Amino acid sequence: MSEPVPIVDSNTPGGMLEGDLVKHARRGDLEAYDELVKRYQQRIYATVYHMTSNHEDANDIAQDAFIKAYSALKSFKGGSTFYTWLYRIAVNKTINFLKQRKNKHHFSLNDLDFNTENNPDLVALISDKTPVREVGLTELQKKLNEALMKLSEPHRMVVVLHDVQGQSHEEIAEIMNCNIGTVRSRLFYARQQLQGYLSEYAKLA
Amino acid sequence: MNQNEQNFDALKKLLQLKQHEVPPPGYFNHFSGQVVSRIRAGEASYSQSMTEKLQAEAPWLVSIFRIFETRPGLIGTFATSLCLLLVGVVVFAERSEHASKNLIAISEPTAPTGNAVASLSATPLVAAIDNSNSGIVASTNPVTSLQPTATLFGQSGGSTLFQPAGFMATGH
Repeated sequence: MSEPVPIVDSNTPGGMLEGDLVKHARRGDLEAYDELVKRYQQRIYATVYHMTSNHEDANDIAQDAFIKAYSALKSFKGGSTFYTWLYRIAVNKTINFLKQRKNKHHFSLNDLDFNTENNPDLVALISDKTPVREVGLTELQKKLNEALMKLSEPHRMVVVLHDVQGQSHEEIAEIMNCNIGTVRSRLFYARQQLQGYLSEYAKLA
Repeated sequence: MNQNEQNFDALKKLLQLKQHEVPPPGYFNHFSGQVVSRIRAGEASYSQSMTEKLQAEAPWLVSIFRIFETRPGLIGTFATSLCLLLVGVVVFAERSEHASKNLIAISEPTAPTGNAVASLSATPLVAAIDNSNSGIVASTNPVTSLQPTATLFGQSGGSTLFQPAGFMATGH
């Protein structure tokens, strides 16, 4: 028995394509923009959060990015997807914020979800392959965030977008307005740096 | 390189931990509402800095400011030329005002206007009438024609001014 297909009404914001939602939002339709926010809020928030390691800052920056995007919608030419354009705004806002804050990092980490302990890779890391066997996942989370914050903003951004968010090199290049070679070299360098900072926890298998 | 890749594999596994960091439950239920209410409240326009506004509305002005930032000498040149332009405008305005005053002074009647007839005869137009015997006399002097006129009974017309036609048939 097949699953029921959800009825999608293309006249409601929920059933509209991204392009149509953008058109409506440009005309001042806040319902359409609300739908766009709902579609991308998790990814935008997560990117900003992983860059700042602070929930409150991520909340403010992500909201500001959406508001800025709304006010700048008229200048959106459609040369890239709305999603990439929005990402670019969020990334620029985050990097500007971090530059203003300089090295004053204040962690406000989110809790790990209940699936963490079911992830075999992570469980293996804290039980078998680390010299400090009693280290818990929360401690590991803190160490990982500290190591990430030691990276420069562009290097951290590449790691976050690629290794955490799962974006392709091409998408990252478009978001960060650089070429793919730069993305690859930044990623390699950032991983090397992280490897050095987390050598105790990311041992060879 | 292969060892590096293996190293990175371990690192990638470690980075998976980041994917399990989640905001408080229900956080995203209110997120879009907060964004939209902030837009409605007009916070967007207040939070946008002046530079961002300029960038959006007049990018050419921002680029001029940037050029000035990088080349301070240009600011001096620009300011000097603006000052010169201002001085030039003031001088030109004064000259033209002076010229118009001279013109008015020349065109004003020398004799008092108590006797309208005498006054009329003192004007070049009337002189032309007196001296000419034939033909049409045309006058294009507007100032001389705006004289107080005598009424039918020899009284002054007061504030009444008129401009006679410039063409007068005389003689034959």
